[in-house]
Amino acid sequence: MSTDKKQDSANSLDLRGLMCPEPVLRTKKLLDQKPEGAVEVLVDSDINVMNLTRLANSLGLSLHSKEKDGGYMVVISKKNESEAGRIPHNHDVSQTASASGQKASSQKSANTSVVFIAKDTFGEGDRDFSVNLLNVFLQTILQAGHKPQAILLANTGVRLMDPDSSVRKVLDEFKEAGIEVLACGLCVEFYGLKEKIKAEQITNMYAICEYLFSADKVISP
Amino acid sequence: MTTSNNESSRKLTANVKAAGCAAKISSLELKQVLSSIPRTQCPELLTSLENFEDAAVYKITEDIAIIETVDFFPPVVDDPFLFGRIAAVNALSDVYAMGGKPVIALNVLCFPTCDYPLSVVEEILKGGQAACAEAGVTVAGGHSIQGPEPVFGLAVTGVINPKSILTNGGAKNGDVLVLTKPLGTGVMLLGLKGDTLSQIERKQLLDSLTLLNKQALEIANKYHPSAATDITGFGLIGHTTEMALASGLAAYLYIDELPFFACAVALASQGLVPAGAYANRNTFSSSVINLEHIEIAIQDLLFDPQTSGGLMFALQEEQAVRLLAELTAEGLTASIIGGFVEGKAGQVEVKK
Repeated sequence: MSTDKKQDSANSLDLRGLMCPEPVLRTKKLLDQKPEGAVEVLVDSDINVMNLTRLANSLGLSLHSKEKDGGYMVVISKKNESEAGRIPHNHDVSQTASASGQKASSQKSANTSVVFIAKDTFGEGDRDFSVNLLNVFLQTILQAGHKPQAILLANTGVRLMDPDSSVRKVLDEFKEAGIEVLACGLCVEFYGLKEKIKAEQITNMYAICEYLFSADKVISP
Repeated sequence: MTTSNNESSRKLTANVKAAGCAAKISSLELKQVLSSIPRTQCPELLTSLENFEDAAVYKITEDIAIIETVDFFPPVVDDPFLFGRIAAVNALSDVYAMGGKPVIALNVLCFPTCDYPLSVVEEILKGGQAACAEAGVTVAGGHSIQGPEPVFGLAVTGVINPKSILTNGGAKNGDVLVLTKPLGTGVMLLGLKGDTLSQIERKQLLDSLTLLNKQALEIANKYHPSAATDITGFGLIGHTTEMALASGLAAYLYIDELPFFACAVALASQGLVPAGAYANRNTFSSSVINLEHIEIAIQDLLFDPQTSGGLMFALQEEQAVRLLAELTAEGLTASIIGGFVEGKAGQVEVKK
């Protein structure tokens, strides 16, 4: 998708007058476009602020809000440099962002799992069949409601992120369900897919190792 | 506003601030208002307002009582037929929640005829009619007015033997709770509105919203439930609190047994939480024990207002296990999610 130029240069949005869930979805879209910088949004109600607090928490970002013009100005930004690495140790819900006044649970969810895919087929066999099988495998994980912490793609596995790949759609569905889908940067570079994959979904071997070693279970098809 | 002038292209949910049962007035506000309204004594009225029953029951003879209920809300989906069907299924549910059999219904309709073509009203009513037909209920008339936002629902009359009424207040110490539909429709409806659901997730949601509670009640009646309600606008915690309070018992819920829609936790954790969930939190969180040990997204789902939610039965454990087996065998989503013990009336403990 082509990026809107005007939005690209702006870090703020006026979301007043919009009904739920638009303020959250538009803020998320802006954050997706701005992996580095802080964003500012103007919203109507404290309900919007509480929902944005949850969004910020889920992304490991910090949130500050103050009343402004009968609404609320909300600033969402990175917590600090050491937490910037998209590494699972920062998965806990942030305390700084609890504008709603609730204490976040510090317990890590039990039995974390990650899915590690290092080739673009499910086993060896007929090529088309094996790609389809991988698609079915991922669909089934989603349908069954399993919640891996992340799906990690390496070597030819990164080809699944190609917009032309039949598997891309289900990977996007995982992303929408709040599950990280991350591709190995070296591999993306090697297979010439850098232009086709969002920067925020490209990671490095260090982060991949952190995911693999901190998970209770690693599933590799 | 930027709304298109082309009537037929306007989305049904375009102007809707709170969808479905999330549009309910908060329990606190309602109590405040009702406290100043004088009550009339009526010996034939078998339900008490204090116990927050799902419907009113009026005794005609020793063997026959009628159940009266009304429920309506703004559109939860853009498809008018589907909206009509969901609103009707939701309204009929209150009769099932009392243990009764709905027999006739009246349409309740508010509609801005300037903003949408008349064919939209027709589809809404057809959807309502379809649900009533499936339930064996006759639509006998109704009332319609103009208004800024579409609203549809039903006033339903049901029949029951007074000895078979399932109220909120009948739960016994040691009973367990069986729930017959997945949880999280408020959050899921926001996901649907924001177009963030996959086809599978969308189907799971709509299948649940359009499922009558008729079969669940018919099966449950074989296992002698002591109390029943349906989980709607006040969320799981709200309705559990009300049942516990009316029964003079303390309740507990097993968090890990709660049947959330597969993506509901992820959606809630990203901030797709309806305003009604925050209102329910304000009303009911003081009666909940150990809430702070639960992940925020799960907390939000405990308070999430449900539209066309499942029935919740209190019954003896061995009966519950058999009920669960039969419900599941019939293809219904059913789980044992908690129960009742002696303790502070109306208190709900959440357990990992």
